[in-house]
Amino acid sequence: MAMTPRKTRNREMLFDSVIALVFILVACVDLCDGATVVDVYRLIQYDMSGVPFGSRLASLNHHAASLHFSPHADLSRTVLLIPLRELNMSFVQEYIAASKPLGGLILLLPQMFSVENKGGVGSNHDDGSKELLKNVLDEVEQILIHTNLPYPVYFAFEDENIDTVLLDIKKNDATGQPATATTGGYKFVVSATEPKKVGSPPITNIQGWLAGLKTDGDSHQLPTIAIVASYDTFGAAPALSVGSDSNGSGIVALLEVARLFSLLYSNPKTRGQYNLLFGLTSGGPYNYNGTRKWLQSFDQRLRESIDYAICLDSIGSWENELWIHVSKPPENAFIKQIMEDFSSVAEELGFQVNLKHKKINISNPRVAWEHEQFSRLRVTAATLSELSTPPELLERTGGLVDGRQFVNEAAIVRSVKLIAESLAKHIYGHQGKNVQIFADNSNLAVNPSYVRSWLDVLSRTPRVAPFLSKDDPFVTALKKELEDHTDEVNLQREVLDGMFTFYDSTTAKLNIYQVASVTFDLLLLLVLGSYLIVLFSFLVITTRGLDDLISLFRRPPSRKVKTA
Amino acid sequence: MTVFHFFNCAILTFGPHAVYYSATPLSEYDTLGTSVKAAVVYLATALVKLICLATFLKVSESDSFDPYQEFLKALIGFIDVAGLYFALTQLTHRNISQNHKFQAVGLGWAFADSVLHRLAPLWVGARGLEFTWDYILQGLEANANLVLSISLAALGSLMWLRKNKPKTLIPIIYLCAVIVATMPSTTSYLRRGLGWHLPKVVGFELFTSLVMAFISWQLFAACQRPSLMLAAIH
Repeated sequence: MAMTPRKTRNREMLFDSVIALVFILVACVDLCDGATVVDVYRLIQYDMSGVPFGSRLASLNHHAASLHFSPHADLSRTVLLIPLRELNMSFVQEYIAASKPLGGLILLLPQMFSVENKGGVGSNHDDGSKELLKNVLDEVEQILIHTNLPYPVYFAFEDENIDTVLLDIKKNDATGQPATATTGGYKFVVSATEPKKVGSPPITNIQGWLAGLKTDGDSHQLPTIAIVASYDTFGAAPALSVGSDSNGSGIVALLEVARLFSLLYSNPKTRGQYNLLFGLTSGGPYNYNGTRKWLQSFDQRLRESIDYAICLDSIGSWENELWIHVSKPPENAFIKQIMEDFSSVAEELGFQVNLKHKKINISNPRVAWEHEQFSRLRVTAATLSELSTPPELLERTGGLVDGRQFVNEAAIVRSVKLIAESLAKHIYGHQGKNVQIFADNSNLAVNPSYVRSWLDVLSRTPRVAPFLSKDDPFVTALKKELEDHTDEVNLQREVLDGMFTFYDSTTAKLNIYQVASVTFDLLLLLVLGSYLIVLFSFLVITTRGLDDLISLFRRPPSRKVKTA
Repeated sequence: MTVFHFFNCAILTFGPHAVYYSATPLSEYDTLGTSVKAAVVYLATALVKLICLATFLKVSESDSFDPYQEFLKALIGFIDVAGLYFALTQLTHRNISQNHKFQAVGLGWAFADSVLHRLAPLWVGARGLEFTWDYILQGLEANANLVLSISLAALGSLMWLRKNKPKTLIPIIYLCAVIVATMPSTTSYLRRGLGWHLPKVVGFELFTSLVMAFISWQLFAACQRPSLMLAAIH
């Protein structure tokens, strides 16, 4: 039964084309999804004056291990999955601060730090451990921001799926074998594109103008009081930096003060003879860059007409005292006036306001408080804050620990009362008299539900400036809200100064696969091979007889002779 | 590594068919044509079954065992038997002995069944990174199916192709044929009604397939003896 040469050639071609098709099919189709998919948020990646900081990589494809890895294991191709509760500072110092090579790092945060978690009053015995976790997270966040990590670092929240995976990984690690390609285990895959620089990070300053009562002449001759708050944040995970206290509390207070004064100013009989300028500035964490650009855009006359400016910074979690920080010496007439107004109102309301003076060093680029930008341009200004000492650069800028449950809306309400009454004292000239304009149960009372709803919205919106686009809906919402309360609103669109460069890719999805080791596959191949051989022999023996089986191995040449 | 797993499961699912063909005298008599024709008949049967299922069954939301629906499915399953009858009796085969005919038809039938039902899930699922035992169990199921198909073909050939059967054995033959034909309904009852997990179901399938194969082999041998005896007498 010899085939003609042409038939053989055809058959060969067919065979080849089939093989080619198979290879193409193998190459085209991509892998299916893993058993578990988790939302993860990347550590920020930025350069400050050319020096790289943060996590420099985004995509991840390694085996996973927990903190119980064996001490001399090589972790450069392993992802460590660490819950915050088990993190201790010695590990952080040894591995993270010292930049030891790791395949990747995933920090599991408890649900209480989640953006969706509104918090609320927890039980007493929880508070101690909550405080402890908060402090640990704060420390870790500061270390992570200021270190150059050449591997992907992600944050995730604890939930059932990833908790079971973690338990499994711990069990595997306890047996002493690290997870590699030959021993099976879990594989973590994040498929993300290479992080790209954010081209020109936008900063948008929003200003609202509430005109005072002109008697004769135009309103620019009236003196102006400015109330300013910066609205953007910076944190270890830009997708989670909601900054409820720094500076969500300031924004909410500013909006509420604007609302109250717009009510007063709507009636010409109660309109004061001061203009009110409300400013929501961006670029706060970066030495108040946006504030400087905003002030530089001012008309000379406007700048000279500003009596003083009050900047609001973190007024959401104080108990009994607030601080007013100034850079002009306390003997200055305006500063004296401000202090008198504020402290008399505070006394009536039952708490204390202290003055703190910090000189500016013009040659030092570091701007610790927002009012310093005003002072550098010769405008009297002060910052109202619950903090007694200024934070360092990129510290307390609304990071991971600054969540909704750590802010007290009653404190914000009291701050609003303080600011509104003090301003009213100055505007309407009630110094020395004990008058309450914004009394409770009047139609000018501070509205706690307004405060609460805006605080809730802010606590769900991450606001890192480079990732807020020009037409971001949040910025538009702030603009619309100010438009409701003021006569005229302007947006100033600028670009962040060159000292900081940011990279994108802030969220991703983590796929968790449970993989079998290569030895398992080889073993399976062996078993299947022997099964098929046994089956073959069995069938040959039962249908053709044992002799035939032996003849298959003994005399192959003679079989060929037979067929020919 | 994952293509490795796919390769492993593929040889578990389709290997036995190839081994069966080459190990038994089927390859010597070149009965490939018969097997291919049987596979085509299986395809046609599957299409008819699909249309009937789509027309007569209603989609149930829960995964529970509905006796009425299962009864309908079993009835439609008898279309399988009709297809096998067609393949055994109506297709023109070359002069191959009855012994080899049913083996070739059963082999072609089982191979088509495996390819249709198991190749696509294997291709899509086994190549991912995630490891599950499902595809290995599916391969074992394919093996059980091969044995069952050959037994059913054997019983079918006994019923329709052999003219002189011992009277006592006829009811047993029909009974065995009914049992084998209703295997799909039985397994789905076990899976849904009793809630057995996949490994248990596959184990049950393997066990029953071996048992039925043994019984059919004995029946076939028993039916062959009278003709031998008759031949010996004459």
